[in-house]
Amino acid sequence: MPAAIEITDLHKTYKGALVPALDGLSLQVQPNQVVGLLGPNGAGKTTSINVLCGLVWPDKGTARIHGKDCVADALAIKKMLGVVPQQIALFSNLTALENFYYIGRLYGLGDKEIKARAGHLLERLGLEKHAGKRVGRYSGGMKRRANIIASLLHQPEVIILDEPTAGVDVQSRAMILSFLKEYRAQGKTILYTSHLLEEAEQLCDEVVIIDEGKFIVSGQPNELVQKTPGCRRLEDVFLHYTGHSVRD
Amino acid sequence: MKKIVATIIKEWILLRRDLGGLMLLLIMPAVLIMVMAMVQDAPFKDYQQIRFELLLADNDGGMLAEEIKKGLRNSRNFQLVDSLEGKPLTEEKLKTLLENGTYTVGIVIPSGATAEIVNSANSVANNISQKLGLGGTLPTREPRNNMDVALYFDPVSKPTFRTSIRFALDKYITASGSKMLVERITRLSKIADDTAASQQDVARLFQGIGIREAELNPKDTDMRHINSVQHNVPAWAIFGMFFIIIPLAGQLIRERDERSALRVLLIPNAHRMVSVGKISFYTLICTVQFYIMFAIGYWAMPGLGLPSIYLGQHPMVLLPVALAIGFAATSYGYFVGTVFKTANQALSFGSISVVILSAMGGIWVPVELLSPVMQKISLLSPLHWALDAVHQVILRDRGIEAVLPNLAVLWAFGFALWCIAIFRNNARSQSIQ
Repeated sequence: MPAAIEITDLHKTYKGALVPALDGLSLQVQPNQVVGLLGPNGAGKTTSINVLCGLVWPDKGTARIHGKDCVADALAIKKMLGVVPQQIALFSNLTALENFYYIGRLYGLGDKEIKARAGHLLERLGLEKHAGKRVGRYSGGMKRRANIIASLLHQPEVIILDEPTAGVDVQSRAMILSFLKEYRAQGKTILYTSHLLEEAEQLCDEVVIIDEGKFIVSGQPNELVQKTPGCRRLEDVFLHYTGHSVRD
Repeated sequence: MKKIVATIIKEWILLRRDLGGLMLLLIMPAVLIMVMAMVQDAPFKDYQQIRFELLLADNDGGMLAEEIKKGLRNSRNFQLVDSLEGKPLTEEKLKTLLENGTYTVGIVIPSGATAEIVNSANSVANNISQKLGLGGTLPTREPRNNMDVALYFDPVSKPTFRTSIRFALDKYITASGSKMLVERITRLSKIADDTAASQQDVARLFQGIGIREAELNPKDTDMRHINSVQHNVPAWAIFGMFFIIIPLAGQLIRERDERSALRVLLIPNAHRMVSVGKISFYTLICTVQFYIMFAIGYWAMPGLGLPSIYLGQHPMVLLPVALAIGFAATSYGYFVGTVFKTANQALSFGSISVVILSAMGGIWVPVELLSPVMQKISLLSPLHWALDAVHQVILRDRGIEAVLPNLAVLWAFGFALWCIAIFRNNARSQSIQ
């Protein structure tokens, strides 16, 4: 069975940048898995995601989703991919429901479909009572949940989440994580980035640690902890491989 | 198509919620049109509708003075004042009134002016009579000097105004001289031959070719003259339409900053359709704006004591004109909102550039009054092509064929900026980090 996500020898240096954002990165994500893409700031996580969703073209190497090339088959990729960006990519002056209708229509969905799907997701993520409220007036946690709903309306096969729980309260985080587990149970593949390693340990089947645009190590979280000498938690493993120096 | 309609619906919801933006789009230009039309009403009337009060001191009391008075009274441009408080105006009083600035023009007809014209006419008639062998002679004397009609102006009077008064006066004096000459020749010919032609016959011979101001289109001739409403309503409506860049560029930058634009980039085939939807929506808004401004010009202006706007013989042509202007304005806004990184940069550049383009394009001062160099530079401004297209329809009564070049320029301008904006946006998305 081909990998759901396959990145091979990916290189990318932004215009004017002194160091490459991606420097020969390779990784694989198997279908129906939750994989955590971990790394310090500037490791290349967001650039990898941007390449996968067709926003950035690599200088060299390939990125494939279910066998389709992210550059050559960008349209097909966008159809099967749901991206939850790090920022709240919603129209703050529209209500959540207006956002979902607009985004759903852009995906080519009919209004009935949008209503049913958005209704289900709103209920599942605890936003049904706030669907008529403008997103700009939402709390941080509500915005994060609405951001996830907007990315799942077209029922993608593969979901990429870029720090989906950053800055949210404990309740919202628990709700998001439980929802992602449930979603994965439906046979979907999830690639997820976070700086919260405890969360990654709890959610992911496998983690991939990258740094300075390169692959460092991958494996199941508990396996990595056991394999790495002197480590008791995933955070110890992370620091073992990426060092203690601060990245700015 | 579904994506375009979805974007139009979304833009409409957003605009409805942006009261400030709506005010800027509709109320600001409406106020601007009314204020500017009222402010410029007097200057426009100065040379077209206002009858200037003109002082006249008659020291002659003869036929010449009567002819000048008759001509001035019959003129649509002058209102003759030759007596004050029931007394004939004297030269001293006339000068005092001009010095006070109460009046701007004064004419003094010197004593003996008519006698001088009669003497001159007699001399010419005698000369002709002698050459033709008619026989009779009329009494003559040596011509006198200093018999000129004096013209006094308020020092602030403009040269064009002075020239027009001089021409008018010259015409009346020449007419008097001709009339007198006809009368004298007729008299001489009667002396020689009882059956000679009448004075009217001779006058007809002298008449030759006259001048008649003709209208290109005899219908609605009074309405087609430029006035402050005919100039200001289209000019400031176009100016207001180009101010669409403020809400549009602001919204584009806000969407980029809040990352909702990123969401669109993640959806297959959405970016271009969203762009088409946005451009279509704002072009429609501009067109509505145009018609609201014209409705104000048509219905509200008479309530302010101003004339109603005249829409020409082909008012339907205003629709493609409005759409083309709206498209050019919207694309400009799209371009500004895409090229500039921050709202501050975009809004400052956008508003200042519209003011500059409007000045270049004849919104503030009609292009005809600009220097030849500026007239050439004005061709670079889309507002010039926009205003010229409207003028073709509402001032020159022209149809669609006359505005086609203007429409082509406006659409080309819009498409060029739109393409640059899309190209720039694609390039920017490649540098997302």
